[in-house]
Amino acid sequence: MALFSWPAATRLGARAAAYLPVLVPAVFLLVMLLAPALRLMLQGMAPGWFGAPVDLEASGGLAWVTSLFAPWQDAYLRGRMAWSLTQAALTCMICLLVGLPLAWVLARFEFAGRTLVLRLLMLPFVVPTLVAALGVLALMGPRGLLVQLGGPDLQGTPWLLLYGNVFFNLCVLVRAATESLGQVSAARLAAARSLGCTPWRAFWRVELPAIAPWLMSALCLVFLYCFSGFGLALVLGGQDYGTVEVEIYTLVAHELQLGSASVLALWVMAFTGLVAWTYAAVERRLATPLRADTVPRQSPRTPLQWAAVIGCVAVLALVCAAPLVAIVWRAAHAGAQVWAVLSDEATLQALWNTCRFSASALAVATVLGVLHAVAARRSLWLRTAVFLPFVVSPVMVGFGLLLLYPSWTNSAGLLVAAYALLAYPFVAKAVASALDGLPASYADAARSLGANPWRAFWRVSLPLIAPALRRGMAFAAATAVGEFAVSLFLSRPEWATLTTLIYQHLGRPGAANMDAALVLACVLMLLSFAAFMLIEWPSREERRDA
Amino acid sequence: MKHITLSALATACASLVLACATLSSAQAAELRVLTHSSFGVPKPLLKQFETDTGVKLVISKAGDAGEMLNKLILTKASPIADVVYGIDNSLASKALGADVLDAYTGPAASRPSAVALPGLVPVDYGYVTVNYDKAWFAKSKLALPKTLDDLAQAPYAKLLVVQNPATSSPGYAFMLSTIGAMGEEKAFDWWGRMRANGVKVAKGWSEAYYTEFSRNGGKYPLVVSYASSPAAEIFYSKEKLSEPPTGSLSLPGGVFRQVEGVALVKGGKERAAAEKFVEFMRSPAVQQQMQTEMWMFPVEAGVARADVMKFAPEPTQFDSPEGKDIAEKGAGWVARWTKVVLK
Repeated sequence: MALFSWPAATRLGARAAAYLPVLVPAVFLLVMLLAPALRLMLQGMAPGWFGAPVDLEASGGLAWVTSLFAPWQDAYLRGRMAWSLTQAALTCMICLLVGLPLAWVLARFEFAGRTLVLRLLMLPFVVPTLVAALGVLALMGPRGLLVQLGGPDLQGTPWLLLYGNVFFNLCVLVRAATESLGQVSAARLAAARSLGCTPWRAFWRVELPAIAPWLMSALCLVFLYCFSGFGLALVLGGQDYGTVEVEIYTLVAHELQLGSASVLALWVMAFTGLVAWTYAAVERRLATPLRADTVPRQSPRTPLQWAAVIGCVAVLALVCAAPLVAIVWRAAHAGAQVWAVLSDEATLQALWNTCRFSASALAVATVLGVLHAVAARRSLWLRTAVFLPFVVSPVMVGFGLLLLYPSWTNSAGLLVAAYALLAYPFVAKAVASALDGLPASYADAARSLGANPWRAFWRVSLPLIAPALRRGMAFAAATAVGEFAVSLFLSRPEWATLTTLIYQHLGRPGAANMDAALVLACVLMLLSFAAFMLIEWPSREERRDA
Repeated sequence: MKHITLSALATACASLVLACATLSSAQAAELRVLTHSSFGVPKPLLKQFETDTGVKLVISKAGDAGEMLNKLILTKASPIADVVYGIDNSLASKALGADVLDAYTGPAASRPSAVALPGLVPVDYGYVTVNYDKAWFAKSKLALPKTLDDLAQAPYAKLLVVQNPATSSPGYAFMLSTIGAMGEEKAFDWWGRMRANGVKVAKGWSEAYYTEFSRNGGKYPLVVSYASSPAAEIFYSKEKLSEPPTGSLSLPGGVFRQVEGVALVKGGKERAAAEKFVEFMRSPAVQQQMQTEMWMFPVEAGVARADVMKFAPEPTQFDSPEGKDIAEKGAGWVARWTKVVLK
């Protein structure tokens, strides 16, 4: 046994370790995402399929090229495309302008409840679309608080969708910016100040460049969410302000016009793919090693500083908390007999399903995410590929999976894989950013001391990126808890999650159903918040030790 | 950190094992039932069916009825189900045209039923029609509309919310009723006037009923829903009401009778079990219970109406184009509707 050549085994292990990070995510993406989407598109192009555009059926080959530009020749579709881009860009701008000052206050000042504010920020992210829309409408709809206070009724205007977008996405930017501002080098900032920089100039010349990659990554995510999101656009945008993704969904699910849908999906992919690629390229160029000497947070002292802190919390409460408070408030007034829904067998089952699917999805997403992030260090393409789950239309993927694996559509494995597919980019992105910030010398030192790459990663890099990993996992868990991906496949009643249960109640008339949905929405918020806290909690202490 | 990563890995392995176990257990004889999302048969009845027949039910909810049928058509070569419930008379011709169903000729098919559904075994029926918010109309002192034409007049401007026929079964049904009653040209002329009069379009029933309907905080006191919705409002009311807060308007030309049925899936397995399931859907127990689960009327003669259904009066008049026309022109009508009302 002692003669078993273990150096050879380690060599083999090292080689496996080198290929594993590329292979596993690549295969996963191919099987779960690219192949299904391509399969559906091929079906759409197949002659004789009655959903295909007529001209395509008639003349075959060359018609392909002309039909590729069909969306731009149709004024209606052109309008949808333009509106999709506009609302996504506007949301990004608003998030940046509102979110950056908020993040700066949160990163630089220490005050009671700061951690809680940071964690509560996550809530909008995990609320199911229809419930969030109910909250937004309770606030700004026809009978909403805003109207009662004499404000305008926003229903039926584009502002409702924009507010909804900001409500959902502001947290993404604020959290990323806060996190990165906390890592700005204190020495550089101090040097800038001692050389006569005003705080504003120091921010502009030192802090902003340092956090730019994180901001870019967050903005990129916000853009992708708004551009390709469709749940929110459907409910808040109504039919007038729907996005391209709404169009694709209608074409595939309801009209079976696979040809036209494929063409639209290709255009969406071209746009979002370009955004993702630009981001990946920019992020890699901007990557700077992490500083150990972080800027300490100070307690607000001057009235101006206090005003900043109070203003920051007030804005967050207004933008992110108000719709949720509206839901909680309405649920609280639902009465005891509605709250009894919590002890229903169906509710308990849904609770258990939500926990079990989210946990499995999180495990898969963590492994995939870390492997992908490691692989992405070497290749810009792999870095871009992290965004594929956001880039490829979920409707195309959902129906493609049905076509490609009809016998698997009823399996729990596919369900969990679908959840993981939507959750893992969060892990991959967070870890990739952290890895960029790691000085190469640490891992090199470990290697020179004889550790193989796998061991160097496990013992040196991984502990250093732990906080980022936790943050990514927390986002992934929160996404999984509130996810409604099942609706794209076939959902089995015994697999109903809290989200599906909420939609079920909202699918029937009657006040009790509406209230039950609101109560369940509160439970869902609580659950995802708990998941988030549980995963992210220890990271703060760890950083203090460092 | 280390043990968090370790435990994550462990959970990943465990879930993999779990998935494999689920896959291998799927080898037992199972009947795959495809339904729309509103399917509601009480669990004890489903359990009873499983013990009585020795068949394990695997029920898949595939979204809205139209979406469900499209999934079935899409996977025709390798069907995802053995039996399908929820295809209605607005979709039946399309399903038959796409050749995804097999005829069933057992007892349930030949027994008399309240309504017919060619090509499928009818299970239940209901009416899509305009509902109104009683409190709103009492407060505004506006008379209830009596005809579809009224709705296109100034006093009723911006009062009605309808579902998009492209994404919603009730929306599609309502559009069909207008075409059935007025003929294509006049119907789209009416829709054009409705657009000018500010008709609101919602994606699906939930959005229309829970975010736009004035009863639930929206600003539209008229909504396309079911004739049975007022009964459901009573059934699901918090404080026990003696009168529904909403009512259904059976406007001439604005009522569609929806008949839902069950059928065998062409190329499906477990034929014997599938036939038993067809009979099960027509059994008195299911016919009785589904009234207050799905809010549809039973087709089986001799099955008593649920008590609360007395708040759901049946419209006497309803309209629909021919089944053949629906199959041939349905998609074209939806496209035209989109152009007239939305674009």
